[in-house]
Amino acid sequence: MIEELYKKINGNYEIAISRMQNDERILKYLKFFLMDESYKGLEDGMNSGDCEAAFRGAHTLKGVCQNMAFTALSTVVEQITEELRAKDFEKAKQTFPQVEEEYKKVIDEINKII
Amino acid sequence: MEKRDTLLIVDDVMINRELLKDIFENGEYKILEAADGEEAIQILDEHKDEIALVFLDLVMPKKNGLEVMHHMSLNNMINTIPVIMITGEATVETDVKAYELGAADIIYKPFEPAVVTRRAKNIIELFEHRISIEKELELRTQELFESKKRIEQSNNFLINALSSVVEFRSLESGEHIQRVKKFTRIMLRHWRALYGEEQFTDEQIELIVNASALHDIGKIAIPDNILLKPGKLTDEEYTEMKKHTIYGCQMLEKFKQEENEFYRYCYDICRYHHERYDGRGYPDGLKGDEIPIWAQVVSIVDVYDALVSKRVYKPSFSIEETFRMIHNGECGTFSPKLLKCFDDAKEEFIQNTTKEQMGEEA
Ligand SMILES: [Fe+2]
Ligand SMILES: [Fe+2]
Repeated sequence: MIEELYKKINGNYEIAISRMQNDERILKYLKFFLMDESYKGLEDGMNSGDCEAAFRGAHTLKGVCQNMAFTALSTVVEQITEELRAKDFEKAKQTFPQVEEEYKKVIDEINKII
Repeated sequence: MEKRDTLLIVDDVMINRELLKDIFENGEYKILEAADGEEAIQILDEHKDEIALVFLDLVMPKKNGLEVMHHMSLNNMINTIPVIMITGEATVETDVKAYELGAADIIYKPFEPAVVTRRAKNIIELFEHRISIEKELELRTQELFESKKRIEQSNNFLINALSSVVEFRSLESGEHIQRVKKFTRIMLRHWRALYGEEQFTDEQIELIVNASALHDIGKIAIPDNILLKPGKLTDEEYTEMKKHTIYGCQMLEKFKQEENEFYRYCYDICRYHHERYDGRGYPDGLKGDEIPIWAQVVSIVDVYDALVSKRVYKPSFSIEETFRMIHNGECGTFSPKLLKCFDDAKEEFIQNTTKEQMGEEA
């Protein structure tokens, strides 16, 4: 079930299981991920044009995604983090829809299994 | 010291904190958590003696990781509580800054449990080891200090014993040497106060004070018929008597210690305590500041005590009279600087000159 989820969202299940030991525990973290507010910070920053706030959200989200081994999401978040770090808001605006898409996919899949 | 048994995990992201907590789930450590820098500082202040290790995120709201490190440095925690920085990416600046502020290690997200536990274990052990070494060192220093004090005490005993041999033989009052020591110390302290802090350290003053006790050690080589003669000495006898300065040095040279400060003071004081500022003293006829200042000090102190004390062959002079005579050059000549210092110390000379030594009934 968990392994399937990782496949659907293009994550790395092997890394996740080595890091979190078992499916039960991964599930716990998936639930935590639903409560994490860093995506909200990124989204608000993007909507209000606050580059600094968007960067903080992206930066935190990146760390979380790496820890969770959400490879696909983590890749686009990393990209937008660097764009925002360089204060290239226009480029970040172009990247954001991809982030949104990947993030929604992850959230949807998690919601399906809990 | 009870063992430190608590880990403090500081990260604003709950998932990151949980991941670290799970890594240490075996219960070996108690876990405390902080979600921002301010909370971390509060916990550190409260639990600084229990925390074995801090995992510290760099980018956090309120106060960031570097500010937490800064607080730890300011409050002396950085040497007892190791910090492992956790950071999303390796940038040279933050790494350098973190190490500069005293981070013990840096680990990068994502966390690999094996890496984290191994590093944490190593660092905790390293710090335990270091703290115990420091404790040990502190203890040794204390022991060393005490044994140094014991050596000083036995040195003082030997010096006093040695110098009193001379006094005993010359039938002088046993108090002369103790007073020379006391007055030498008073003079040197006033000298230092008048002419700059840099002159003598407390330790140097004590070395000179001890050396002053040996100023007449050479008298041990003077024959009884001269040393104990009640009347005036003949020229020939006086010439022999003056040699006590040389004899003292010859004795010291037998157990000469190169580069030893105490030896230097003893030698100079034995040899030059009868030199005069105008060059008319003995044995070498040194002039002015060719005479080491410690020998000048013992010289004036020796003259003062001789004048102010009652001896078989002479009455005592009053303190006022003694000061006048010394200023007038009636008993040796001294440098203006030394005389100024002597005046500066007058109050203490008066306090430390006893009625007994002046031959009055107390
Ligand atoms: Fe003498
Ligand atoms: Fe003397």
